[in-house]
Amino acid sequence: MKLQMVGCGHHHAPVQVRERLAFNPQQTEEALKQLRGRFPGSEVVLLSTCNRVELYTASEEEHARPSHHDVAEFLAEFHHLPVGDFFDDLLERTGEDTVRHLFTVAASLDSMVVGEPQILSQVKQAYQLASELQSTGPLTHHVFQSALKVARRVANETSINERRVSIPSVAVADFARNIFDTFNDKRVLVIGAGEMGEETIRYLREEGAEDIVVLNRNPSRAMELAEKFGGHTAPWSALHDELVAADVVVSTTGASEPIVRLDDFRKIAPRRFQRPLFILDLAIPRDFAPEIENELNVYLYSIDDLQETCRLNQNQRDRELPAAISIVEEETERFMANWWHRSTGPIIERLKQGWERPKEDELRRLLNKLPELDERSQNEIRISFDRLVNKLLHPPMTSLRDEAKHGTPHGLLEALTRLFHLKE
Amino acid sequence: MGGITERIEIFCFAASYTVALLLAIAAPWLRSRYRATVEQGFVIAGLVAHTLYLVSRTAHGGTTPLSSSFDWYLVAAWVLVAFYLYIKWQHPRFSLDVFVLPVVLVLIAVATFLTDREPFPVDRASLWWGVFHGAFLLAGTVAVLVGFLSGIMYLIQSNRMKHKRPPTQGLQLPSLEWLQRINTRAIILSMLMLALGLLSGSVLNLVNHGGDTTTVPWSDPVIWSSAITLVWLSVAFGFATFYKPARQGRKVAYLTLTSCAFLVFSLGVGLFFTEHRGSSNNKPAPEVDSQQQGQAPVAPEETYIADRFASGGGSA
Repeated sequence: MKLQMVGCGHHHAPVQVRERLAFNPQQTEEALKQLRGRFPGSEVVLLSTCNRVELYTASEEEHARPSHHDVAEFLAEFHHLPVGDFFDDLLERTGEDTVRHLFTVAASLDSMVVGEPQILSQVKQAYQLASELQSTGPLTHHVFQSALKVARRVANETSINERRVSIPSVAVADFARNIFDTFNDKRVLVIGAGEMGEETIRYLREEGAEDIVVLNRNPSRAMELAEKFGGHTAPWSALHDELVAADVVVSTTGASEPIVRLDDFRKIAPRRFQRPLFILDLAIPRDFAPEIENELNVYLYSIDDLQETCRLNQNQRDRELPAAISIVEEETERFMANWWHRSTGPIIERLKQGWERPKEDELRRLLNKLPELDERSQNEIRISFDRLVNKLLHPPMTSLRDEAKHGTPHGLLEALTRLFHLKE
Repeated sequence: MGGITERIEIFCFAASYTVALLLAIAAPWLRSRYRATVEQGFVIAGLVAHTLYLVSRTAHGGTTPLSSSFDWYLVAAWVLVAFYLYIKWQHPRFSLDVFVLPVVLVLIAVATFLTDREPFPVDRASLWWGVFHGAFLLAGTVAVLVGFLSGIMYLIQSNRMKHKRPPTQGLQLPSLEWLQRINTRAIILSMLMLALGLLSGSVLNLVNHGGDTTTVPWSDPVIWSSAITLVWLSVAFGFATFYKPARQGRKVAYLTLTSCAFLVFSLGVGLFFTEHRGSSNNKPAPEVDSQQQGQAPVAPEETYIADRFASGGGSA
């Protein structure tokens, strides 16, 4: 098998290099077309994400696919960069290592945040685009389809991608979703305009939140954030009224003292009729007095509470990692054994054909000499001949299968070809 | 086919549900892509066997599925399993199994203790009223049980959220909002069904006593306990409907848990009193020549509502 990956990832290449080598969807399309034109005998799939740029190539013949140097030159030309700026950051994997690498990437074990789910869809999109542009072939089809299956198996058999590890994702996926069933009918109140708040709104939007109100002492910053997420703003003086209407509160102000004290909240509470309230206090120092969490139907989470869950989730992921890696190893081994076994297919076929002809000749000669045999006897003889041929073929085929578990059995194939005069 | 259905016993579906429950309990430790599928397979196999068993009893016994205490509990368990599978189909990630299946097994266990009970005394004239009465009480009881289960889940989930604990692996509970919605619906449905059950039971008595209200045993403890349960459910319904804070959060869960306590009380009173009445009924009854009296045959000491409630339908 002539399979290769040349590219760079977050483990070896700094972000300055990765961002210069990255391809947007239009560029990916253009690059695939150019590579097909330049290396017509090669199959090509290009995977470009914010953490990696990887070019997978495959061909039946060694010389048909681009070399490491060819890929570097292509990247330099495409992005108008000197090769020397990134050549040392390029990584190469060949054969079985390429398969293992792709399986590891698709299963999100090579991601910056191990277990993050986006990479699987990115691998799928890269493969689909290459298929649409007809730059894939039997080798890349086989390895990419297997990679998608491996990723699903890792996801099913381990909880590596079930556990969130960033504070906003934990807040929404592990807690908010356990309070509310839907978010499209919930009022989200954002107090302050910090980065963490912005990221949390992004997750809430993904969950369907539409009614977003931003409150900030600086109205222009509030307006900017509200416009970004299709929400609206409210004046700072309306804080208490907005708390009455809110279902989810994300607070990230830089205030040095709590902006909502227990007394304040108790004045608001009767107007809420004990409706559940989820408060994410992501500010340091905290914006909501900690005693508020004891109020009925109030679920108050500070950054420390969420960090603890993030840590637990990270530990959980780390514990799952060996199981996920062993799945990748097992699947790589299986893939390679299948692949090598497939490479013996033509020889086995020729071997069978080589025995088939003499068998038929001898059978015909025998039956001609014994015309008195009835149909039942003729059938018995035919069956015996078939059984004899199968028994004779069994030892070489078993040897081939056993040898193919550890690589293409070139020596054995050569020996069989010469011993039995197997011609193309 | 007839042969197969005749060979199905309670053990078949009870064992299926038990295996499914054990698989559900093992979920946090048994992480296999096949576990959930196998578990659901056992529940479905159990439901199929359960259905065939009930169909076979109806076909061979020549009775309606709610014609005895034994049948009544088995049908209640069947409805609960069917409801569970429907919710599981809608929300595959919810771990409802560890809550629902024990209740199903308890209902089946109670049914097995009632195998010797006599069928309800119903003649042709009151057959349909009897079916309505039993079906309403059954629906009301299942609604109370569903409310109880969602109330328990609500309190567990709420407690977990208050203590900031992330979801346990393999035990994904529904959101508080979803559970609250189920709780509220369970209260409304159980109140309506049990009220209709009580009403149809009254009509049933009147039909069987030729409209003579003086012979209806209004002072029977079973009827009283059932009426108290209905009064409580009406209060809970009114509370959840007209008092706004009671529609939210743990209050609704507490209402459904209390409703279940009333249901258990009512069932307990029912089982206790019918047992005693049953033992007194075991005395040889005087033969009644109904043709001579020109009346439809009436079972001795008939107390239709009471018997129904006592059967386990005794939730009203």
